[in-house]
Amino acid sequence: MILHNYDLYEDCFRVRLLASCTEQSLELVNVNAFPGAEEKSAPYLKLNPLGRLPILEDGELCLRNLSAILIYVAEQDAQKRFIPKDSAERARMMDWLGFACQDLSVATEARAVALLDAPGDVAVLRAKARQLFRILDDHLTRQSLRGEIYVAGKSPSLADIALFPAFALCRDFNLDHDEFPAARLWARQIRTLPGFITMPGIPDYH
Amino acid sequence: MTQTGSAPSQWVPVALSNMIEAGTSAGTVVNDAEIVVWRDTAGKAHAWEDRCPHRGMKMSFGFVRGDHIACLYHGWEYDTSGTCQYVPAHPELEVPKSICISRYGTTETGGMIWAYTPLGTLEQDSPPDLPALEGVRSVYIDAPVAQVSGALEQHGSTPAGNNETNSNFTTVKLESTVVTVGLQQISEGRCALHIAVPQDTTIATREALLDWCEDLRRSVEQLEAAA
Repeated sequence: MILHNYDLYEDCFRVRLLASCTEQSLELVNVNAFPGAEEKSAPYLKLNPLGRLPILEDGELCLRNLSAILIYVAEQDAQKRFIPKDSAERARMMDWLGFACQDLSVATEARAVALLDAPGDVAVLRAKARQLFRILDDHLTRQSLRGEIYVAGKSPSLADIALFPAFALCRDFNLDHDEFPAARLWARQIRTLPGFITMPGIPDYH
Repeated sequence: MTQTGSAPSQWVPVALSNMIEAGTSAGTVVNDAEIVVWRDTAGKAHAWEDRCPHRGMKMSFGFVRGDHIACLYHGWEYDTSGTCQYVPAHPELEVPKSICISRYGTTETGGMIWAYTPLGTLEQDSPPDLPALEGVRSVYIDAPVAQVSGALEQHGSTPAGNNETNSNFTTVKLESTVVTVGLQQISEGRCALHIAVPQDTTIATREALLDWCEDLRRSVEQLEAAA
């Protein structure tokens, strides 16, 4: 699998983190996204007319949608360890995967405005992201009351992997973790997963 | 970092005990003063000014190693007295004792970690006298603490504090359960409630309490937004 990657994009990190936690290797093609905007160059627009990263290629297959990429990589894992077998739990996982990849794109955008010169109003985006992390924190509070520390159940799933980068990186746009104690505890659990890796902005406590 | 000169000396709840695991740290704010709350690996809780004297980095971004907390920037490590013990860039250096972080008086009672504020006040008053309780959740609300207290009174809360220094909690009866609510003023327009219940409280009651917390936050914030 080839990942067209930019190290500082959290959406690319989501894919790298998943591959690492499922013991799969990715061939990384590093794209000069900032400041080069190479993903908007002619050859890249051929791969993804939307002009965005990440892009995943596997043989004839070329994927540009974040959740499609994440589901594909999670299914390539022989053990399929992050895809719940129980159908209700799998549906809950998909529900939170949608939250991570669609709703939380405001957090990705806020970070891009704060760090990478993207256009937008960081204060408005930050306020939206804060509301979403409240929803996550409320949910994780309920989960732990039921003895389930992950978003979809007792075991970590693809949704947790997809959610983690947004929460871990929100300090990059000046949203602190102070107000989200349940998410803080949950994030600590994610950090202990075998194969866990970091990226710039996510401290490695060595 | 700035402090209101007129703020009375008092014990303020800054976190639920069970939300700060051994070997971890978190940031919080009391009356605009940034505080790092951390627990050493032996289990003792600490509340300090949230600033490394070296470059001003927040200590709450750092990490705990045994009974030391280390800054994320350059790894300067401080012992439980707040004194810097180790500078990784100069491992041979005997660190001057003058490099230290200011500490708050810290205690744990009623399932909460309390800090004696403002910074630099000598501990004079005994901490709130609360029974053994278990934290359910902390809820952060965009409204003045007085307004939240008012909303709690409408729920029939009874201020349990009998003097100024331990007035930062109240109790509310939810069905037959006595719920203890620790009140933390973050800034003029923001506060946190730390919610704790007796250990034998059922899961069903705790779930109802979570609904209650979310409803309270929603209704108070809607009132505040309309004001």
